[in-house]
Amino acid sequence: MRVQRVASISGGVVIASRIGAVIAALLVGGAIFALAGYDVPMLADNVVEGSLTEFGIEDLGLLVSPLILTGLAVAIMLRIGLWNIGADGQFYAGAVAATVTGLAFPGGNDAVMLVVLALAGFAGGALWILLPALARAYLAVDEIITTLLLNFVALLFVNYLCTGPMRDPGQAITSASARVTTEIPPLMGDLHWGLVAAIVLALILALVFAYTPWGYEVRVAGANRFAAHYAGIPVRKRLMQVMLLSGGIAGLGGMAEVAGTVHRLQGGISNNFGYLGVMVAVLAGGLPIAVLPAALLMAVILNAGIVLQSYGVTTYEVLALTGLVLLFIAISEQLAYYRLLRRV
Amino acid sequence: MIELLTGMLSGALLAGGVLVLGALGEVLAERVGVFNLGLEGLMALGGVTAIITVAHVASAPLGLAAGILAGVAGGVVFAVPVVLLRANQTLCGLALTIAGTGLAASVGRPYSGQPARAVFDGVAIPYLSELPVLGRAIFSQNLLIYVIWIILPIALHYLLFKTRHGINLRAVGENPAAADAAGVPVVLLRFCYVVIGAGFSGAAGAYLTLAFVPSWSDGITGGRGWIAVALVIFAGFRPYQAAAGAFLFGLITALGFVGQARNWPIPPAFLSMLPYLGTLAFMIVPVMVSRRLQRRLAAPASLGLAFYRDQR
Repeated sequence: MRVQRVASISGGVVIASRIGAVIAALLVGGAIFALAGYDVPMLADNVVEGSLTEFGIEDLGLLVSPLILTGLAVAIMLRIGLWNIGADGQFYAGAVAATVTGLAFPGGNDAVMLVVLALAGFAGGALWILLPALARAYLAVDEIITTLLLNFVALLFVNYLCTGPMRDPGQAITSASARVTTEIPPLMGDLHWGLVAAIVLALILALVFAYTPWGYEVRVAGANRFAAHYAGIPVRKRLMQVMLLSGGIAGLGGMAEVAGTVHRLQGGISNNFGYLGVMVAVLAGGLPIAVLPAALLMAVILNAGIVLQSYGVTTYEVLALTGLVLLFIAISEQLAYYRLLRRV
Repeated sequence: MIELLTGMLSGALLAGGVLVLGALGEVLAERVGVFNLGLEGLMALGGVTAIITVAHVASAPLGLAAGILAGVAGGVVFAVPVVLLRANQTLCGLALTIAGTGLAASVGRPYSGQPARAVFDGVAIPYLSELPVLGRAIFSQNLLIYVIWIILPIALHYLLFKTRHGINLRAVGENPAAADAAGVPVVLLRFCYVVIGAGFSGAAGAYLTLAFVPSWSDGITGGRGWIAVALVIFAGFRPYQAAAGAFLFGLITALGFVGQARNWPIPPAFLSMLPYLGTLAFMIVPVMVSRRLQRRLAAPASLGLAFYRDQR
């Protein structure tokens, strides 16, 4: 027996390797939990039970929608070969823009206001990625670090707004803005139509990237920037468009979180959704359509984390576990290219 | 004014030390062609290991050693998939950051907020510490300062640019196929220098929690790992420039501290943004000013690329 590296692999192998990676990560994570003294089978039982209640499914839905949006934001930038590690900051920026707009028109709660808020959220997110986008397109400055650095700035800015100028004096919570009256209509319990909108957006983006000339040009530019340029594709323009779209979509996530779930701006509103979006996009292999199942899986893991918190497991352990999942995906992605051959 | 200058200078040396250590380690990793985005996680692991160690044995050097070991361990976890299995470097780096910060916060919870039980104290150097400004800013600091700012940059510069071994390891980052053909052990060098570089990050974390802050709290690294990565690009992958850049960032950070201490009429949140915005500016402005500079500071040609001996 020997191993051989093959040049290309089928979609089925990719999916199998992803699933294998997640299972491997959960097994290793479980083993570490067991070593740390947790009763792992009992925890797993509770996670399954807790997630399957009506309440659990609602929670799952609330986690899925922002994950789809941030996942899409990162995924479409992967299509053109770039990393958006700043979805968290863009999420915050979208939330700020939507809150400011919502508070400027108090009492408004209709379809028009929702559209205005969505546009504001999109614009906020797009604005937050503008500088990294310009630097990438015109100066070839590494986008990973520039987008990431702005996350810290956004976090500080939102905390400043919530404890300072936008703090609601009538509130007991010390770091939250006043309530935004514009609301995304409910779908079921706490769950709102933002989930449906996010799914539709994923489908639209999947079609755009698969079947339009624009999507084709973006994919070619992602595969080989120089070949694309030689073929007459305006690479810089596509880079700018995709990056602004990406920031905008992450901003929409922030808007939906404000108008649909939290109804106000508060510190920590992003819940790390931006960073988790990176995970979702990677799990989805950068395919907009695959973001849907990937976001669902990530939401299940997060939801499990929430259930586990009543058993003394903290968000930190869940965070470490998601990191482990990412590491195993990276490894499986590479191992999928190897075949076992019988020696001839 | 003199007091302000002293405060800025000593603050810059103290705060910038974390960045020098992180950046020098990353210079080593990137010079052999590996882009390690896991610095933030490695620093957190190093920092928490150091603080836990000194909580049990009150010895700062032992804490530093433990921090370095934690960095090395994290480096092995990173280098095995990246160098041996040739997995995607960006992904593994992000995974290391996420898993490292999560793990560090998790094991560090019982120690959060308590001051370190042993720290690297400032030592007044006889006579020199009585000099105006410089005396307090430079010659009354903890002894690690001199290692970090002087000995390590010189040693790394010498290693990279004045020895045959340095030529080999730079060749591995520029053109691994050619290095391989010349008999340089590409995979071995990559593995070793990625792990050594990770040890530097562990040391940076230990320095953070034993000398700079000195205590542990969740999220204490605060993006310093990422700033160090940015610094390496800004420095054109050179040790001296990395140290100089770290000093600049130290000054910017110190400016924020001084501003808060003196009640400048700027909200503290904006002062805290300075290091991040400063890093952004330093990544963008030099490239904007001069294309020639951009070429001179170019990355190793094979940075981020896996080396397949059978497919070259």
